[in-house]
Amino acid sequence: MSLARRNLVQDKTRFMLSVLGVALAVMLILILSGFLNGMYRQISAYLDHAPGSIVVAQDGVRNLLGATSLLPADMDSLVKTRGAAQVVPILSQFVILDLHDKKVPAYLVGYEPKIGGGPWQLAAGREPRNDKEAIFDRVLAQQHNLAIGDTVAILDRDFTLVGLSDRTASWMTSFVFVRKAALEALLRAPGATSFLLVTPSVRVGEDELRRRLSDRSSIEVTPKSTMIANDLNLYGGVFSGPLRLMVAIAFLVGTLVVGLVIYTATIERQREYGVLKAIGARNSLLYRTVTTQALIASSLGTLLGVALAFGIAQLIMTVQPQFLIVFETSAVIQALLLGLAMALFAAWVPARVITRLAPAEVFRK
Amino acid sequence: MTNATFQVSQVTKRYGVGSTEVTAVRNVSLSVAPGEVVLIMGPSGSGKTTLLLMLGALLKPTTGSIQLNGTVLSALAENRLPDIRLREFGFIFQDFNLLSALTVLENVAIVAELAGLKSRAARQKAAAILTDLGLGERLNFLPEKLSGGEKQRVAIARALVNDPALILADEPTANLDSKIGHEVMRLLRRIAKEQQRSVVIVSHDQRIKDIADRVLWLEDGQFKEVTTMAIDPVCGMSVEQEKAISTEWDGRTFYFCAKGCRDEFMTKPQR
Ligand SMILES: Nc1ncnc2c1ncn2[C@@H]1O[C@H](COP(=O)(O)OP(=O)(O)O)[C@@H](O)[C@H]1O
Ligand SMILES: [Mg+2]
Repeated sequence: MSLARRNLVQDKTRFMLSVLGVALAVMLILILSGFLNGMYRQISAYLDHAPGSIVVAQDGVRNLLGATSLLPADMDSLVKTRGAAQVVPILSQFVILDLHDKKVPAYLVGYEPKIGGGPWQLAAGREPRNDKEAIFDRVLAQQHNLAIGDTVAILDRDFTLVGLSDRTASWMTSFVFVRKAALEALLRAPGATSFLLVTPSVRVGEDELRRRLSDRSSIEVTPKSTMIANDLNLYGGVFSGPLRLMVAIAFLVGTLVVGLVIYTATIERQREYGVLKAIGARNSLLYRTVTTQALIASSLGTLLGVALAFGIAQLIMTVQPQFLIVFETSAVIQALLLGLAMALFAAWVPARVITRLAPAEVFRK
Repeated sequence: MTNATFQVSQVTKRYGVGSTEVTAVRNVSLSVAPGEVVLIMGPSGSGKTTLLLMLGALLKPTTGSIQLNGTVLSALAENRLPDIRLREFGFIFQDFNLLSALTVLENVAIVAELAGLKSRAARQKAAAILTDLGLGERLNFLPEKLSGGEKQRVAIARALVNDPALILADEPTANLDSKIGHEVMRLLRRIAKEQQRSVVIVSHDQRIKDIADRVLWLEDGQFKEVTTMAIDPVCGMSVEQEKAISTEWDGRTFYFCAKGCRDEFMTKPQR
């Protein structure tokens, strides 16, 4: 029979408390890491889906979202002649929109619908056919009660909303797309280009193309993956520190809760453990009993925590769609391992108590 | 292992050092035969528990030796002792010390499992012993639902389950009222006799003297005078030889609780 299980069943309240402690900790850990993952995914969403493997920008600009870039004229034809299969020019600018008197930050992308660099998935509508049409991120539109056909002011001009893009939301800045010529006009910069999204030709290859462009001091040629990493660092880095700290605190709190519960349960039963020792039970058996108690509590708590995390994440994303919470398999496995680690840490101190128990003490009052 | 002989030679236990040194037991020798019930009495603080702990391999004597079946327990390495305690000794405590989360049956079975029995066999064995001790109706009760006497009977079952050579009991009646305490001790005596197990009881309860074959008096850590018990052949009561009325018949000495019993015996001594 399992003494561990019986002990737990006998102290139902305490048992429940420890399960709940682990569950809350695991839930918090999962939500926080899911939040971080979601944020990373949002930050890198545009470049992840954009064409090409190299990004050409103004000299010194090594990220997409954090800086303004203006390329010298005719750069696209130069890049093309040096060995690119495809060059997609975009003009982009971080702007503040006035949506019915609310200031809303947005990342405005001007692109050529025929070439690429626009939304990769439309939830509704179509791409802009002229310079008075725009696509809004679906969530951004929903939050401000905008529907297809509505008129929206972008900077000082009115646009008609013709499409809603999917997976371009972020709680920091959502994406708005217009034709490149429209943005040129808006910014009063005819012919301006911010970035070139470049696909090297198969013959030349990425490294060779970058080498061939290295003589141009007015531009910065960066692999797309580096560009993404820089964006993540710039925006995600601000949050990843505090989030990781919160994960560590959640782990600590979870461990403390199970640890304290198992510890007091052990202290309360130390006479019984002493009796077992006097009768002839070895320490190893008693360790196993205490550890099993911690493991049962933490496994149930972890499972509950994972379930809670999924439920709460769903709830958060329904109520606040600009937040993306992504649970990766690796994060769930990590949470399960953390739950296990909580149990082992929690069982450690009680095991010390048991080692120190002198069985002879059982005979004294 | 029921034909074990238990031999304690010149055992001394000192606690502490220097000015705080206490000699709890000094130069005690004792041997216990199979099936013999020995009662060690003495005032509080006389060293009874200390002696019992040494007998049960829970405390190493400062000097002297303790032997079981020729094995010198007091010289064994610490990590050998749990197994010896598990298989050779049964312990009965003053406050029962049952495991509160386990049922009566499980309290006994777990100790058999510790000694290597499979769960089912352990339960069967435990159930048989408990039933023999009159607890057949209580197998699935939790200890908190039992009376004191029942608890101590469970403790006796637990002490018996691994067929120990020697049962050690420390003040087993202290938490029982005198009638129940006496009954439980009589039960322990019956089993010791039936199964030829030795029993050492440490107690200051005068009322259980009659269940012992031998009563020893411990004072200041030493045995003072030895009282030998005998059974009155007429009424079956245990009597102290030194204080009893006695008579010789057919070359043997018989002891009686009172004159009436002797007179009755003499009418038909050949029985
Ligand atoms: N662990 C210990 N440390 C120091 N002194 C002890 C210890 N245990 C018992 N003693 C002392 O040894 C003596 C005998 O104690 P004990 O064996 O408990 O006697 P009893 O069981 O007859 O009451 C007492 O004077 C007691 O204070
Ligand atoms: Mg005592």
